[in-house]
Amino acid sequence: MSARGQDAGAGSTRDHQLPVASGRDTAAAVGRAALALPRLVVSSTVAAVVGSIATIATPVLLGRIVDVVLAAVDRRTDVWAALTPLLVAVAAAVVVGAVLTSLALREAERLGASIAADLRERVVDRSLRMAPQTLERAGVGDVSTRVTEDVEVFTRSVPTISAVINSLITVGVSVVAFAALDWRLALAFFTVVPVYVLSLRSYLPRAAVLYAEERSRASTRSRVLLESVHGSRTVHAYGMGELQTDRVQGASEAGLAAALRARRAFAGFAWTMNAAEAVGLSALVACGFLLVRADLVTVGDVTAAALLFHRLFGPLGLLLTSFDDVQRAAAALARIVGVARMDPPTSRVRPPRLSTATVRLTGIRHAYDDGHEVLHGIDLVVPAGTSLAVVGESGAGKTTLAAIAAGVFPPSAGTVELVDGDDPGTVLDLADLDQVDLRSLVGLVSQESHVFAGTLRADLQLAKPDATDDELEAALDGTGAATWARALPDGLDTVVGAGGYPLTPAQEQHLALTRLYLRDPPVVVLDEATAEASSAGARDLERVAEELLAGRTAVVVAHRLTQARACDRILVMADGRPVELGHHDELVAAEGMYARLWRTWTASGRDATA
Amino acid sequence: MKRRTPPAAATGRSPLWGPMFRRHRRPLVLGYLLATTHQVCEALVPVAAGYVIGIAVATSSVPAILLGVGAILLLFAVLASAAAYGYYLIGKAAVTEAHLQRVAVLRRILGDPTVGRDRQAGELLSITSSDTQGATQLMETVGGLLASTVGLTVAAVVLLRIDLVLGLGVLVMLAVLVGGVRLLSPYLERRLSARQQAVGLSAAVASDLLTGLRSLRGFGGVAEAVRRYRTASRLSLDATVRATSSNAVVGATSRLATGALVVLTAAVAAGYAVEGRISLAELVTVIGMATFLLDPIGHITRSVQELAVSWASGRRVAELLTPSASQAAVDDQRPDGPLQLTAVVDDGLGPLSLTLAPGELLGVVTTDVATADTLSELLAGSRAPTAGTVCLGDVAVAELPPAAVRSRLLVEPHAVHLLGGSLAAALDTGGGAERQVELPAALDAAALRVEDLTGHADATGPGPALADIALLDHGANLSGGQRQRVALARALLADRDVLVLRDPTSAVDAVTEDAIAAGLRRVRAGRRSTAVLTTSPLLLSRCDRVLFVDADGSSTTGSHADLLAVDAYRSVVLR
Repeated sequence: MSARGQDAGAGSTRDHQLPVASGRDTAAAVGRAALALPRLVVSSTVAAVVGSIATIATPVLLGRIVDVVLAAVDRRTDVWAALTPLLVAVAAAVVVGAVLTSLALREAERLGASIAADLRERVVDRSLRMAPQTLERAGVGDVSTRVTEDVEVFTRSVPTISAVINSLITVGVSVVAFAALDWRLALAFFTVVPVYVLSLRSYLPRAAVLYAEERSRASTRSRVLLESVHGSRTVHAYGMGELQTDRVQGASEAGLAAALRARRAFAGFAWTMNAAEAVGLSALVACGFLLVRADLVTVGDVTAAALLFHRLFGPLGLLLTSFDDVQRAAAALARIVGVARMDPPTSRVRPPRLSTATVRLTGIRHAYDDGHEVLHGIDLVVPAGTSLAVVGESGAGKTTLAAIAAGVFPPSAGTVELVDGDDPGTVLDLADLDQVDLRSLVGLVSQESHVFAGTLRADLQLAKPDATDDELEAALDGTGAATWARALPDGLDTVVGAGGYPLTPAQEQHLALTRLYLRDPPVVVLDEATAEASSAGARDLERVAEELLAGRTAVVVAHRLTQARACDRILVMADGRPVELGHHDELVAAEGMYARLWRTWTASGRDATA
Repeated sequence: MKRRTPPAAATGRSPLWGPMFRRHRRPLVLGYLLATTHQVCEALVPVAAGYVIGIAVATSSVPAILLGVGAILLLFAVLASAAAYGYYLIGKAAVTEAHLQRVAVLRRILGDPTVGRDRQAGELLSITSSDTQGATQLMETVGGLLASTVGLTVAAVVLLRIDLVLGLGVLVMLAVLVGGVRLLSPYLERRLSARQQAVGLSAAVASDLLTGLRSLRGFGGVAEAVRRYRTASRLSLDATVRATSSNAVVGATSRLATGALVVLTAAVAAGYAVEGRISLAELVTVIGMATFLLDPIGHITRSVQELAVSWASGRRVAELLTPSASQAAVDDQRPDGPLQLTAVVDDGLGPLSLTLAPGELLGVVTTDVATADTLSELLAGSRAPTAGTVCLGDVAVAELPPAAVRSRLLVEPHAVHLLGGSLAAALDTGGGAERQVELPAALDAAALRVEDLTGHADATGPGPALADIALLDHGANLSGGQRQRVALARALLADRDVLVLRDPTSAVDAVTEDAIAAGLRRVRAGRRSTAVLTTSPLLLSRCDRVLFVDADGSSTTGSHADLLAVDAYRSVVLR
């Protein structure tokens, strides 16, 4: 959020969520992804159907064995002549069933995993390259959830979904098998359907609410745990261990209560599933009894039906208990497809290679979604190769102006253009450029920096993938980061970022500036790029920034007025309007707002102007 | 809910397991009993079906079928009720215990700075969240193990009673098959964990890229990032695909084993039935039973693996819950008197003697950043000086109970951590009966305007209540400067006798910095002692005294104006 910096805050709400695909669009997207792998689709389907048939054949054949035994007991005929082929057939069914069912699960899982990989790569691509206004409206949080949580939920549910599909096929084949034994036995089996339907209809809506509640409580609990452990030094400093533990306890108790409610509901649901099994088995046996008495089916048929049904407990249970998982996966999938279907923005013009560029802002106004206007009309030209500092009090609109100048998001009104420094006839509107083209022209370093997990080399190469070690070393030398980078345990091979070697905030910013140096765009925007460091570190970073600005067109938002003084011109802003513009000496002489700020700044370091 | 903290026994062999089971004795005993009943009923389902078919259906006896269907319904009524209530009871005990352990572990981490000191935050988090769950999982595992063993025994007894030879044969074959399948499982587990890791890898890459999204888009790393994610995603897909093959091999083996058992049992039992050695009902029962037996056996082998996992988790939880010896002596002593440093020597710090007078605002400037770190640690009492003493009044800080020190002395960490989900919660640090600073005064002194935080500077009427201002992800919705000022307001509101601040204005602009300097004087000077480690001239010029520690460890004290005559000082604080 902090592209909005101090201008917006905690209270703002967002209702511009990213799109969620409809059921039909989701199915279509999955279908398209599946059709790209026709071999897997065919092999998984065929294996599942044949495997199920073989599996279902086993109890049916066992039923025949019972009939043969019954007949043998009555008539003492040569029983083995009849039994042997049956036993061979059972053995064959067992082998085919075992091999093909396993194969079907494997193929379905491969298919699912490939589809998941395809979709997650697409969603990451679309998220990273998203049009600026879409990203700003939706917020990084929503995008991040899609790419991390939703993708994870869907990827992890692939084995479950394959098993569910396989179970569905098994149940389907079983129904055919029941009907093949006797249609009346199939009807008896169907007595389970109303029980399952009633049970699911009462459980699912409740479960959806309860599980959502449980997940939300659990995430609150994780958040409180996380902040407590990470902030444990603060807790110790204040001696507020009891208070913070109480907060954790409160969150954990709420989570516990929600978890227990969900478990109670599930226990009730599990009971009704057993009830359905009881109804089904009783109906089969009772129906079988009547049919045997009427001489319509054999005892073997009833045995087969009972064994068949006993074997369906597993697949039926899986189908019913994974309903919730499947629903969740489907919801995650709809959210993934919603983003994956978005068109990646592409440049409307072919950007020329510019070696220098003038930045021209015309009639810039900007209001955030809540209608709160923070920039009220700004016209500004930063000539090629010169630097402009933007100063002003908190809330003056500095950060918003910098973000607009860097193309982080478009202004509500007005244009930002780049004019070729060598050929003033070439003018580019930032709004016409996509992320990739834009950033080869305009680079941005903001207050929040991030060290990407991996080696220092990999981190730097994000800015220039084909950079050799020599180039990287040169860049580190160029920004002076080499002094500490060489001292790292493994030099360029040192693993930094999450879980790696910890860098200080000043080093993180130093790294961010080095990445921009490597990238070497003609225009740079620095938004308080030196602020997080302590005063001494900030002075070092200022020197680094000066190196980076040399020869480039630059817009610099500065807290520290010494940094502003080093720029060619200074823009003073107040309440979203430009107030003063000029060189440091002119502005000090003008005795206006800048002069006042400068006096405050130097009030206590009287030699500073020397 | 009553607060029940697991009392970590100071002695005794099992600080965790014994109390854990004792605390939930009654629900567990009932739950285990019901779970066992459920498994026995499951074992009896094929028996019931076999007998109903063999006796009622085959003979077409009406009373027999009525009795049989009644028996099936009764059996399932017991089975379903025992399962639903029993597993709920066990599960409830487990999640409740996980909650209790979670809170107990956190109480230890937050209450005693020495507890988590040798562990990374990530490790502590995994202990509080996953390991407490893993440890309490034991209660469910034990229940399952007990129920399956009894269920298996009942099934075995039924088989042996039908026919001794047949029963023994089935059981021996079962043992051989299960053992064979077990031989495969290490191979499968390796593949599965490789897959988990690979899936985790691509998820970690995605999460890292998204965390740094703004930065990434800022310097134009998007194209390369997309390429890297694709590589990670393909790696994880490859691992998944490899795991599906091993999965299929293991799956097929166990299905073949089950099938072989059924075929062999059916062949032998059919022969026996023809000979009249067993009845028709018994034939159907034996065939049904042969497939059922694999359930409890599979359950038992899985449970044994889970026991090991729970055991390891429990050890890690118990380590954190076992109190350290140092915490034994806690008295309610409250140290009086000012903060005094006497001839303190440490890294980069020469002999330093200093008394922070009551009501004084002291600036501290060091040439070397590391020296400032050392000084803050010394003042916080988290570090013992090489020589000399750091005292509150007459007592060394290191010898005082931590709680006593903290009731008088606050060293605000420079790395800002805001706790709580709202601004009101972030500012509340509890206690403070002697607090004399009101909320508006603290906010004002920290130059924190609530309207700025909500982005409605031009709103008329009363602003939103502090409790309504949400802090997302520890204040990620605030700018760096806002977070710093909230932390400062929190420190001022806590109103300790002695406050040590570290670079409290590094992320704010000059005008705000000046306002904060004035606010700091207004709230604390003349009343409480404050030491500010900073290089900001705006802050230093408002200090009563400034302590300057040069690179060689030597120190000078004087007013900011006087010290500006010292070259080394000037070059540090000069902008």
